[in-house]
Amino acid sequence: MAWGHCTHKTPGGGSLTTTDSRPAHVGQDKPEASAPPDDAQLAAARKKAHRRKNSKNWSLFLLFAGPNILLILAFIYYPLAMNMYFSSLDWRLGAPRADPVGLANYQRFFTSPSGLEVWRVTGIFTAGAVLGSMILGLLIALVLNKKIPGRTFARTAVFSPYVLSGVGVALVWMFIFDPQRGALMFILDRIGIESPQWFLDPDANLLMVIIVYVWKNLGYCAVVFLAGLQSIPKDLLESATIDRAGPVRRFFSIVLPLLTPTVFFLLVTNIIFSMTNAFDILRVMTPTGNGTNTIIFEIYLQSFGQFNRAGYSAAIAVVLFFTLFIITAVQLRFVERKVHYQ
Amino acid sequence: MKQSTISHSWKGIAAFSVAALAITACGPDTNGGDAAEEAADTDWADVEPAESIVFATNHPGGSEDIEAEFIDEFTEETGIEVEVITSGANYEETSQWFQTGGGSNADVVVLSDATWFPNYLNDALIPVDDVLEAADIDVSGYVDALYEDYLYEGSHYGVPYARSTPLFYYNVEHYEEAGIDAPPETWEEVAEISQTIVDEDLAQFGYAFPPSDEYPAWGMANLVWGYGGAWSEEWDFSTVSSDETVEALEFAQSGVEDGWANVAATSQTDDFSSGVASQTIQSTGSLGGIMDTADFEVGTAFLPDGPAAEGETPTGGAGLMLAAASSPEEQLASAMFVGYMTSADVQARFSEETGYVPSHQESDMSDVYADTPQFETAVEQLERARVQDFARVFLPGADLELATTLQSLLTSGDDVREEMERVEAEFESLYETDLADEIDG
Repeated sequence: MAWGHCTHKTPGGGSLTTTDSRPAHVGQDKPEASAPPDDAQLAAARKKAHRRKNSKNWSLFLLFAGPNILLILAFIYYPLAMNMYFSSLDWRLGAPRADPVGLANYQRFFTSPSGLEVWRVTGIFTAGAVLGSMILGLLIALVLNKKIPGRTFARTAVFSPYVLSGVGVALVWMFIFDPQRGALMFILDRIGIESPQWFLDPDANLLMVIIVYVWKNLGYCAVVFLAGLQSIPKDLLESATIDRAGPVRRFFSIVLPLLTPTVFFLLVTNIIFSMTNAFDILRVMTPTGNGTNTIIFEIYLQSFGQFNRAGYSAAIAVVLFFTLFIITAVQLRFVERKVHYQ
Repeated sequence: MKQSTISHSWKGIAAFSVAALAITACGPDTNGGDAAEEAADTDWADVEPAESIVFATNHPGGSEDIEAEFIDEFTEETGIEVEVITSGANYEETSQWFQTGGGSNADVVVLSDATWFPNYLNDALIPVDDVLEAADIDVSGYVDALYEDYLYEGSHYGVPYARSTPLFYYNVEHYEEAGIDAPPETWEEVAEISQTIVDEDLAQFGYAFPPSDEYPAWGMANLVWGYGGAWSEEWDFSTVSSDETVEALEFAQSGVEDGWANVAATSQTDDFSSGVASQTIQSTGSLGGIMDTADFEVGTAFLPDGPAAEGETPTGGAGLMLAAASSPEEQLASAMFVGYMTSADVQARFSEETGYVPSHQESDMSDVYADTPQFETAVEQLERARVQDFARVFLPGADLELATTLQSLLTSGDDVREEMERVEAEFESLYETDLADEIDG
């Protein structure tokens, strides 16, 4: 190998030849004292410099990111790993002893009638909550996107339930739904309809919590949809109007395709939220989970709600984690392909 | 290069092993050890009480101030300091807190009749008989059934503290308007009076049954016992689907079908206080709240008799338990404390302040009776108190199963026998899954 050229290994393993810009005397014979360093010395020096730089980079990285990484490890990954370990035990909450049972807790959840019922309820609740929030949120966003009087107030009013406490929301709605004394009962009574037994019938229970969850969540969807609507170029809509496209045609041919990134984002976040964040409403409105026993409620019920099954509950929590992981991965892999980015 | 790969592999294995060790070290013992064997018999004669103890309480019945008052008096009397920890908003939270290690420094803990048993199974409680004797606490004054609630395998695991029973409530004004001069003594009379009230259009319903989240298996135990049935006979669950139990539940179901009774949507207390229903059964602890809310005169009566038994009254509420993790010195001091908190005078004042029934037979309640004569019924009814069935208070998940089944039966018209046979099978399954190994040894 001649001086003036050197070969570097690229990260991918291939070689890259570059021209050395050092003076021409480099590499010529010189007295011993000022002899140029040989290849090994140069490589060692480079390696040392590289190591020093690496070490400096690592120190900076650890200085800035270290505390966060430690916190994430301590409060997310360590509990996650502990939970996975607990899911392999037959363990009563707080008991000093437990029996390792391998995957038996998972097998039980996927094969028992109560486990299958949890999947059914979770599916209905998630579908109702996500579709309800997104469709109503989009309709409200379309209205709020128009220049109407009191638009700012209306936007605030629509969004405010989203930031309210779920417990408070649930308590207020319990009064509304009360079939003996509730506000809804009075309205239905005026039009000659008897109030359904919202709290006693499992199906009505499920419908009731879906309505409340959608009411609380649709402000979030409306605001995100509104942001999406405002990013659609006006000239496109104006051109379509000039071409005599009606409002429905403009919506389905221009607005909706350009909103697909927003729809995709909301779909992912809403599914995750509805499967994990609805616990407060469910717990307050239906304390025994009668007809509303979604997977997040089942985790609570099995560990704290009388059963005290810490190991089994941990297994259901792991199932929820991987369910959300898989749903998100599938959505990223397949649904995103159909998303139209501007 | 090869050496480097091996080195990385070993590092990975080592890191994984350390992580696995860290995880398993923090979990429960999986080697089959028995912590109970480690508990040696204590010779209490050699033990001096500790100078301070920790009391974990959810302040039942809004008792924070009165508990603090009692603690000051106890410290003044004995010199033992008591640190109070608020362990939750209710009995369930307190038990969860104690079970999950939050209460690892608690010496005395308030646990309900339905939550102390898992803590017993976890070896977290000590039997109190010997230590109470060492602390010179006379247990003969406790209401028998209230103390027997904590009896298991020949030892008591708590003393009765914040106790309650169900009580029969009725709307005096509705009774007067319907010409009814006395509350019902039997369930048949409850049905007759309820039908009269509905016929006279005095209320929408004559009687309100509890919904699933208001512990219907507790409130309806009297009805089932009255017909000779039960939720269980110790660990024998066949009684839950016996002819007697089925007959009792068919009676309740027919009440809703015939229209003289309903199942309250949110709480039978609300239905009664608002005048939707003229009669109900609810905890003695709800008396104060009902009297504050109702704009009519409230009457109270003993729980009704059934065709097979006098109106037996299920016990309820919470007791004081001693932690197994405490030192003998702390346990002895704790025994002195629980003895003080359940003494006749303290229980009378606690009852007056909270609405719980006094657990001591010698508590003087005359001042309370003068102000609230309805409360006298609650205290006198203690003579009929009966310890609850194992299935409801000891079998994990059984109370929830009963609660949802009872609500469903009363509102749907399902076949009672078929449903209760399903419940029996469910109880057997719960027992096999969660208890059999420990109970049967």
